[in-house]
Amino acid sequence: MNGIKIVTIPEVATIEEIRDEIRDVKTFYLSLDNKEIDKNFKIKSGQFIMCTVFGAGEFAVSLPPSPENDRFHLTVRKVGSVTNALHELKPGGKLGIRGPFGNGFPFEEIKGKNIIYVAGGIGLIPLRSSIVHVLQHKKEFGRVLMLHGARTPDDLMYKDNLKEWQSFDGFETYITVDVAAPGWTGEVGFVHTLFDKANLPIENTVAFVCGPPVMFNTVIGELMKRGLSDDCIISTLERHMKCGVGKCQHCAIGRTLVCTDGPVYTYRQIKTLGEQI
Amino acid sequence: MYLIKKSDVLNIAKALSAAYQVYGPVVEKVSGQTFFEKVDDISEITLAAPIPAAPPKSVVFPQAERIMSYRYAGGNTPVEIKPDYAETPKALFGLRSCDLTGIQCLDRFFLGQEFVDDVYRHHRKKMFIVTNTCVVPFKYCFCVCTDSGPCADEGYDLNLTDIGDNFFVEAGSAQGEALCKKLNLENASEQHRSEKNACVDKSITLFEEFSTESKAWISRVMNRVTTGFAKEDVWEYVGDQCFECGACSFVCPSCSCFNIADASGGNGSCNRLRTWDSCSYEGYSRMAGGHNPRKPVEDRRNKRFFCKLSYSQSKKYLRPGCVGCGRCNWVCPGDIGLPNVVKYIRRETTSR
Ligand SMILES: Cc1cc2nc3c(=O)[nH]c(=O)nc-3n(C[C@H](O)[C@H](O)[C@H](O)COP(=O)(O)OP(=O)(O)OC[C@H]3O[C@@H](n4cnc5c(N)ncnc54)[C@H](O)[C@@H]3O)c2cc1C
Ligand code: SF4
Ligand code: SF4
Ligand code: FES
Repeated sequence: MNGIKIVTIPEVATIEEIRDEIRDVKTFYLSLDNKEIDKNFKIKSGQFIMCTVFGAGEFAVSLPPSPENDRFHLTVRKVGSVTNALHELKPGGKLGIRGPFGNGFPFEEIKGKNIIYVAGGIGLIPLRSSIVHVLQHKKEFGRVLMLHGARTPDDLMYKDNLKEWQSFDGFETYITVDVAAPGWTGEVGFVHTLFDKANLPIENTVAFVCGPPVMFNTVIGELMKRGLSDDCIISTLERHMKCGVGKCQHCAIGRTLVCTDGPVYTYRQIKTLGEQI
Repeated sequence: MYLIKKSDVLNIAKALSAAYQVYGPVVEKVSGQTFFEKVDDISEITLAAPIPAAPPKSVVFPQAERIMSYRYAGGNTPVEIKPDYAETPKALFGLRSCDLTGIQCLDRFFLGQEFVDDVYRHHRKKMFIVTNTCVVPFKYCFCVCTDSGPCADEGYDLNLTDIGDNFFVEAGSAQGEALCKKLNLENASEQHRSEKNACVDKSITLFEEFSTESKAWISRVMNRVTTGFAKEDVWEYVGDQCFECGACSFVCPSCSCFNIADASGGNGSCNRLRTWDSCSYEGYSRMAGGHNPRKPVEDRRNKRFFCKLSYSQSKKYLRPGCVGCGRCNWVCPGDIGLPNVVKYIRRETTSR
């Protein structure tokens, strides 16, 4: 990565467009005001930035856009003071950006393999970048599957993308909800119940898993039962973060810091951290 | 190597005050405690005062500081961002060896990792350090166990050692050497160096008698802490004893966790503040939405000792994180300062 990294003082970005995703979740399309920096702001799938909502504070947020040919955006659920303040902003409003930080997902190393994405709820946010990037290079991969589970049909993320992805030739998508709603004709049940139907590949396969801890543990258990090795299961961890650059120590887990050693870990690494995830 | 008469030693601080803001040990009249403070009247400095109650780390890493300010009136109006770095040149006069080692830990942590901490770098940029050898150790000291005292051997501009009527002065840098020349200090002989060495050796023998409150065989426990072979009930006991007051972190010369908060000043102006934090606090690792991966106190307490005693963390400091100052042992209301915990881990029991 030889792009720019904004470490200490945020760069100002302007919100160009805001889209509602699901309840309490919005996507913000942005561009950096300094065009020189905007041009050199190169990201890797799986990295994150620190986003300042002026007057409220700063928080860590994943980068859902693909590193190539994609609009720069963030997708944020409102859960507290800073994210609430962000949801109040309108197009034209300003944000501060530091980053990109973190190790990111492997891309070169997984070429030629089958890829499985398993996303629970807003766990699709950190996976989106990698999904789009892999689809942009689909020919260089084996089977590519995505399984996305949400609580209800209204909780399915990135609905426009999902439609597009479902019609993408050779991209196997499976979507399920915990509880159906009137008019829902798709699958009902937790996301791992689709594994048989999807006829998951195991040999030469890498799985990316993101979602709430309960879903994460069940899915990992199922994958390992089917013979996927723990170093072929990849996830991102979330921690309370204040600096993003390895100094405040808030994100420490085991002997690592999520902001600089993560946020991407293999399940083999996660097991050695010796802490709750 | 030089000599300066005991009665003249503060002349060094006076000379420094021309170009630096001087900080030094001052004995507070009411409590009789030592604080390492900004001094404008050099005569307030008591060089022989006991180790300061709070560590001088606050000079390079203040308890609360503004690191940036900004102004944004909302909507499509411009945002003005102003970085706020402390630029004043500072001189630390009469620093104890353990506290210098603490600052070296912070240097390696803030400046020597993947990212450089700009706020810290500005504090540290123009600095003059005068250390003072402890010829008599204090009650809670155990720097001899942590290889950080009683005499500094690197990282200072000048080191002073009380050898009787004179201080033996060693220059550790070009700017230290230059100051000695400027002050026309008398040259010291090999004889004086032997006297200094004898004072340091004597001081080490005095630990048995004077430093009665703390001892820590940290080399014996580092392996266990790193590999997770410290007994579970030791951590449970430590968790039970902890009041989550955070005092241990605040008095520790090498603790550097911080929090960041944006404090609104009205009219769209805001200050970004960075303040000391402690891993003992429940809110430290709590995430938005309430999930706290380190809810039990003992999980947060063993984090502190992991930080001070594991090889993994030592890689960041290039030495163990504990510098043997004994302050946590002195302040902890739960009686679980580092030396006690080391004892519990080593003996695999929680009785003293
Ligand atoms: C790598 C990473 C990627 C992420 N990606 C996304 C994403 O793509 N989309 C998304 O929606 N979320 C994402 N998150 C989660 C997001 O960072 C949090 O939801 C966000 O920080 C919430 O901030 P808040 O201020 O609104 O919440 P709050 O609950 O107000 O505060 C956030 C944290 O600050 C603490 N806190 C609150 N008040 C104080 C106080 N006064 N003093 C000290 N601490 C306090 C809380 O304990 C809490 O842990 C990600 C997190 C990480 C680490
Ligand atoms: S000083 Fe003692 S009681 Fe207070 S937080 Fe530290 S370990 Fe816990
Ligand atoms: S852990 Fe305790 S004894 Fe060791 S350096 Fe920190 S405050 Fe001093
Ligand atoms: S967020 Fe500050 S150390 Fe990781």
